[in-house]
Amino acid sequence: MPTMSTRGASLKGLLLVALLVSHMLLTKEGVTSLPICPKGSVNCQLSLEELFDRAVKLAHYIHFLSSEIFNEFDERYAQGRGFIAKAVNSCHTASLTTPEDKEQAQQIHHEDLLNLILGVLRSWNDPLIHLASEVQRIKEAPETILWKAVEIEEQNKRLLEGMEKIVGRVHSGEVENEIYTPWDGLPSLQLADEDSRLFAFYNLLHCLRRDSHKIDNYLKVLKCRLIHDNNC
Amino acid sequence: MAAECPAPQQGRAGTERAAASEASATAAETASAAAGGRRMGRGIRERCPPPPALCCSPLRPSLPPSLRSAPLCSPPGPARPAPREECGLSPPPRRSRSRFMTVAASPEVGAGRGGRSLKRSHGSGARRGGARPLPPAAPPKLGGSFRASRGRSMDLRHLLFTLALICANDSLFASDAREEDAPGKGQRAPSWKAAAVKDLLQWPQISKCRSPEMETFSCFWTAGNFYNLTVPRILQLLYKKSNEEDWKECPDYITSGQNSCYFNASYTSVWTPYCVQLASKNEVYDKKCFSVDEIVLPDPPVHLNWTLLNTSQTGIHGDIQVRWDPPPTADVRKGWITLEYELQYKEVNETKWKELKPRLSTMVPLYSLKTARDYEIRIRSRQRTSEKFGEFSEILYVSFSQIGIGCDHCTEEVEFPWFLVVVFGVCGLAVTVISIMLSKQPRLKMLIFPPVPVPKIKGIDPDLLKKGKLEEVNSILACHDNYKTQLYSDDLWVEFIELDIEDPDEKNRASDTDRLLSEDHLKSHSSLGAKDDDSGRASCCEPDIPETDFSASDTCDATSDSDQFKKATEKEEDLLCLDRQDNDESLPSLANTDLQRQHRNSQSENSHQWAPFGDSVESPRPSAHTQISNQNSLASTDFYAQVSDITPAGRVVLSPGQKSKLGRAQREVCTEQSFTMDNTYFCEADVKKCIAVTSHEENEPHVQEQGYNEDGYFTTESLTTTVASLGASTAAPPSSEMPVADYTSIHIVQSPQGLVLNATALTVPDKEFNVSCGYVSTDQLNKIMP
Repeated sequence: MPTMSTRGASLKGLLLVALLVSHMLLTKEGVTSLPICPKGSVNCQLSLEELFDRAVKLAHYIHFLSSEIFNEFDERYAQGRGFIAKAVNSCHTASLTTPEDKEQAQQIHHEDLLNLILGVLRSWNDPLIHLASEVQRIKEAPETILWKAVEIEEQNKRLLEGMEKIVGRVHSGEVENEIYTPWDGLPSLQLADEDSRLFAFYNLLHCLRRDSHKIDNYLKVLKCRLIHDNNC
Repeated sequence: MAAECPAPQQGRAGTERAAASEASATAAETASAAAGGRRMGRGIRERCPPPPALCCSPLRPSLPPSLRSAPLCSPPGPARPAPREECGLSPPPRRSRSRFMTVAASPEVGAGRGGRSLKRSHGSGARRGGARPLPPAAPPKLGGSFRASRGRSMDLRHLLFTLALICANDSLFASDAREEDAPGKGQRAPSWKAAAVKDLLQWPQISKCRSPEMETFSCFWTAGNFYNLTVPRILQLLYKKSNEEDWKECPDYITSGQNSCYFNASYTSVWTPYCVQLASKNEVYDKKCFSVDEIVLPDPPVHLNWTLLNTSQTGIHGDIQVRWDPPPTADVRKGWITLEYELQYKEVNETKWKELKPRLSTMVPLYSLKTARDYEIRIRSRQRTSEKFGEFSEILYVSFSQIGIGCDHCTEEVEFPWFLVVVFGVCGLAVTVISIMLSKQPRLKMLIFPPVPVPKIKGIDPDLLKKGKLEEVNSILACHDNYKTQLYSDDLWVEFIELDIEDPDEKNRASDTDRLLSEDHLKSHSSLGAKDDDSGRASCCEPDIPETDFSASDTCDATSDSDQFKKATEKEEDLLCLDRQDNDESLPSLANTDLQRQHRNSQSENSHQWAPFGDSVESPRPSAHTQISNQNSLASTDFYAQVSDITPAGRVVLSPGQKSKLGRAQREVCTEQSFTMDNTYFCEADVKKCIAVTSHEENEPHVQEQGYNEDGYFTTESLTTTVASLGASTAAPPSSEMPVADYTSIHIVQSPQGLVLNATALTVPDKEFNVSCGYVSTDQLNKIMP
């Protein structure tokens, strides 16, 4: 008798395991609530709205981090050095003609705006990598600045990927010439003179804050325009 | 005059003065007179307060003689306050003062500058002397006034005059310095001297630039009281974008009010750096650089209102939800700007506002408001990721009574009686602790206050050593290697001797029959012996006793230590007792040496050296104890003796044993036996028998005459002598006494090499050979047996 019951129990257990495994294999889904969008697939399950939401969130996060890191850097290193007093140098992305006010942002074609956004993001890819590595060489750099730099660089990459996806969805035709501005500020971040080096960092972080703000705003405007048809 | 004014000051003043000397020599000189006072103050400041006479040194060679001779420092009484004032004063720009001093232009230096300089002088003068009326522009001639100066007010006025003159000239320098600045260098903070003056002077300056919605911005400035004193000028606000070269004028001075400039959307570029400067015709008063996204200060939210969410059951508290609209100017809807809001609330008659965390949503619940009270709520907003908040909105009044939920008669809730809780808790804890400590419950005590463990030696209980039986201790100690208890009884030895385990020697084979024959006896003996065992021995028995005819394996007496010892003992047994027949060799030579060594050994109780014995062993050991084995049965009862006394030395005195047990057969055996022992030991049985035989033959007193051992033991010597006598002449009476004790005290145990019996005090007549019963050292054994 006991053998029968145990056999039955083991059978049930086996059945359960088999069901579970088959379920896992068949569904091939993770536990996440969001559907997984494999890279490069055409029929992605993510809607454009979802993509834009994520992009806006990322952009906001990047801008938030950039503000924080700039404020911290300003507090820690820029006081008393008169960085503010010196003229704010132009950023390396100044060559990209981005809309400067709301009307311009509303009038520009969304594809151009998307391209511009992409261009800005691409142009910042390189500087962010170097920022993350060079900021560690600053004497007694606080931990918050260090991890923020790394985080910004990571998130920027993710945003770039997301934007490329969006562009792939939105663009009807081919992608035009890639907008990109090279950055040649690496030597300035490695200057021997500490004052000059810190000023280079200050400028870079200032530009980063500004550009991240731009992207944040553009994306919101685009989202309202494209998703909600200007009825946000 | 006193010449103790500090030299370094002099140097500095000198250089500065030299630099400014070009402006106006005379004025400089006149000013220097006052400057002397200044310098005096400076010097005194450094060493405050020195006597006033110190101040009067002429530091500048260019001082006009008139002035130079003039006592700049007043006489001690009234003049002292002046230097002390200077001492007390600590204006930041010491150098400014020198500049002032160096330059003493007339008030009419330049249209605009003079007034400014005057203002400056006034400011500095005011700073110096506190609030004082500002005199008009001082006339250039100050010498007379200086000379005649007496009294405090006069001095102060002179100071002011000097300052005015200096400031007028200073403005020259200031403007020159300013113009030398590279344009577009950004807002240069006014020099320290201007800063020092600005508090009172109210220079025109840009107060702030603000953009409410990131689409337009305005800049505001203050004109200062500048206009009242000079010809009114026209202030302009010029602006410039970073990528432009020209300064442009403000497009709209009106929209934002007076002293403001409004830049509408067409002039606004959000992320472009701007620079604005406040200037009049030739002069720039202030400059600011910024970008529009940094100066966003939103308008306050509008349309605040609240709704009741729910109230508590008692009606004392209630929750409300506050809603508002974002400022109308900010385009939050399209996402151009994102605002976050901070709400503050307080009871009406409170003074401190409670703040909530900034949030993005335009509604927020407030929980647990007292319905009996009225509340005030205000909200302000700021751009997300910026730090500054805009203005507060209008205050929203919350009154529950309006809705009719007010609970005026509700009583205040009693606060949690923290005090009582703490007091009672402490008391309870104290009572518990005390009760635990006083309680007799050891377990509880041990639980709370565990005892500190005491170190214990593994295997040995100190209590056992203190009050345990010697047998137990020995048994425990016997468990350790290389230790042999001293309490082996004869039986065991006999067993050892008798049992022949796997002895390959042919000599021993002859004893097989004996062994077989006496097996029963052996067993009985072994059983007997077992009873007398030390308890520990049985436990220490090694299980892997080689399979032999070793009947004693049951008791495992012999092999408690090691097989080696066992085997050695076996061999010894063979040699000693079983092979005695074979060996006729006597061991007189050996015995002697052995005896002597034993003497030595016995005397040194701690020595366990068998080596000497080993060296001396050469003769084969007669170890035929077969006779003994044969006679074991007869002598079995002889193996025990009663302990009659214990000497202080530690020796046990045995009562006279059974002398007459040994039969004649033994006697014969005894005589025939050749105690060729190279060892100290004889088989006790043998000796016993022999001795017994002899004793039979002889008189007891004769035996006794031989000299009893002190302790009644057989000693090696005695045995030796006995056996020797026996061996030498069969009928020789034993020279030694004949104690019939069956025990020989073991003096030293050297397992597995053998035992050293206690030697008696009796002289050994014959020291030729050692006599020991049943004890052979392994060395001897090895020597005997190849």
